[in-house]
Amino acid sequence: MTDFLHFFNALRKYAFLQRALVSAVVVGIICSLIGVFILLRRMVFLGQGIAHSAFAGAALGLLLGIDPLLTILLFSVFSAISIGYVEEKKLVESEVMIGVIFSFFMALAILFIGMMEVYSTDVISILFGNILIITQERLILFLIFSAMILLLLFMIKKELFFMTFDIELAEVSGVPVRFLTYLFLVMVSVTISVSLRAIGAILVFAMIITPAAAAYQWTYHLNRMMILSVFFGVFSAVFGLYLSYTFDLPSGSTIVSAVTAIFVISFLFSPKRMASKRTIQECPYCKDYLLEGEECQRPECIAAGILHRHIDHEISIDKKHLPKKKPTKHDH
Amino acid sequence: MTITKQKVKETIYQPLEKGEPVICLQDVAVAYQANVAIFDINLDVYPGECLGIVGPNASGKTTLLKTILGALKPIQGSVQIFGDKFSPKTSHMIRSKISYIPQLQAIDRNFPALVEDVVAMGRYSKAGLFRPLNSEDWEKIYEALEAVGMKKLAKRPIGHLSGGQQQKVMIARALANEPEILLLDEPTTALDFKMVRSVVDLVKKLHEERELTIVIVSHDIKLLREYCTRIAAMDKKIVWKGDPHDPDLDIIIEEIFLR
Ligand SMILES: Nc1ncnc2c1ncn2[C@@H]1O[C@H](COP(=O)(O)OP(=O)(O)OP(=O)(O)O)[C@@H](O)[C@H]1O
Ligand SMILES: [Mg+2]
Repeated sequence: MTDFLHFFNALRKYAFLQRALVSAVVVGIICSLIGVFILLRRMVFLGQGIAHSAFAGAALGLLLGIDPLLTILLFSVFSAISIGYVEEKKLVESEVMIGVIFSFFMALAILFIGMMEVYSTDVISILFGNILIITQERLILFLIFSAMILLLLFMIKKELFFMTFDIELAEVSGVPVRFLTYLFLVMVSVTISVSLRAIGAILVFAMIITPAAAAYQWTYHLNRMMILSVFFGVFSAVFGLYLSYTFDLPSGSTIVSAVTAIFVISFLFSPKRMASKRTIQECPYCKDYLLEGEECQRPECIAAGILHRHIDHEISIDKKHLPKKKPTKHDH
Repeated sequence: MTITKQKVKETIYQPLEKGEPVICLQDVAVAYQANVAIFDINLDVYPGECLGIVGPNASGKTTLLKTILGALKPIQGSVQIFGDKFSPKTSHMIRSKISYIPQLQAIDRNFPALVEDVVAMGRYSKAGLFRPLNSEDWEKIYEALEAVGMKKLAKRPIGHLSGGQQQKVMIARALANEPEILLLDEPTTALDFKMVRSVVDLVKKLHEERELTIVIVSHDIKLLREYCTRIAAMDKKIVWKGDPHDPDLDIIIEEIFLR
């Protein structure tokens, strides 16, 4: 408790901590929203590949002594588009392609780092992330990029959703699938690039996929899934920041640990997993649709008035619910 | 400004003369890489027609439908829909007037979409890019659900429905688009007898009441004969076209299915 108070006091006092908080919230929002669509489109490995090429970009920027954000953006957008192209033309299997690209960019990154004459601590901070050292200008740039991504995402939300459901059907229904796929890939790479400072190249992808995966466990609504994902993402980013500041731990790992904990809890208590064996059936008698085991209430049903269930086209009535009838009178 | 816009519109949406085909394929051949799936396809479909396409497995029925939709590009010949060829300019207009019901495929049990959300996808092309659906769209969505008798399930997760129910939802999705042409790919496989009846009756009703142009693919010839106005039999190419009750059809069917 005193730790919390201490954290809040520090938050009032220090501008660097305020900036860290803002970037934690924004990283939480954009990563977890983008993540929903990456998860549903099953592009998880692709995101991982982009994260690693972004790191190679960072290393090159540091080597050349220019702003790493430029080279990061360049590398990640380039790799995203080339992966998208190979996938579109079905040149090789996309997993193979991503594996190849991913290793190659890692090799490039190591090469660039090896070529540096002076050892730069920036390398470590980009690899592992440090949310506490974000500057004012960086933060403003970061906010502008994030706002653009959010705006775009909400503009193309319904089409992206259709594409995750059935991409071929989306295409023949008039959705400009090709354009949107590339646009989305660019959005993913920009998201990863701007989040790199805060959580680091190795862990940035956890921030994208884990909140969405946790949210997926709870709901069948896309909108609710997006809201939950943002909630999980922001909560763990802020909580991770608190842990990082209070116990002097690397921010990337505290944030990812927090979000992983949320995922584990979600998985264990997932209402979807519990319900996944149920099916819906049409009652042959009253034409109502019922979940297996649900009780029928309709008055038109031939078993109306008696508590019963429909299981596999059969009416099942529990003995204790059968109304008791008096024995009919008769004469001997 | 408005005048020029109008003009452009008119040239794109050229109205068809009466009696002209809405779908016109000439000498079409389609291949997957080096493997030719269909060839020598000459086919005209007229407004208000219900055309049945029959053929054995791997005879290229699905390929033909995808070619009509512009999802596959022919390596030879020409495809014209409403008198237009597919191009970046025309494809959106063409596709917004065609609804396609794909061959039944498994839907992830946990996919985060309700039945109504899936049907709503049918309105996306009408609403246009970047725009959310409005209340009129939702009215149409519920009308379509009503038409297939699935209104009660509107709020259920799509993955929880049985295969036949999902098929009906996909039909509702196609109807919500208010199409002029309806393409159905094996709509009755995986359905039990009662479901087949209700889907068939639905298609019949749509054809009669809304004067939809329908192209329906199946390998169930009995079913097609019952409600199609014309039948084409295919086995990589169209081997026969004609009246559903022509006795010649029996011979053709025997030939292509027992080859
Ligand atoms: N995506 C694809 N890539 C390569 N070949 C394909 C592809 N889709 C279909 N084919 C081939 O094209 C041929 C025609 O396939 P198509 O799916 O059109 O047949 P169909 O008549 O719809 O069969 P079914 O009755 O089984 O649905 C088949 O030989 C098939 O192997
Ligand atoms: Mg097929």
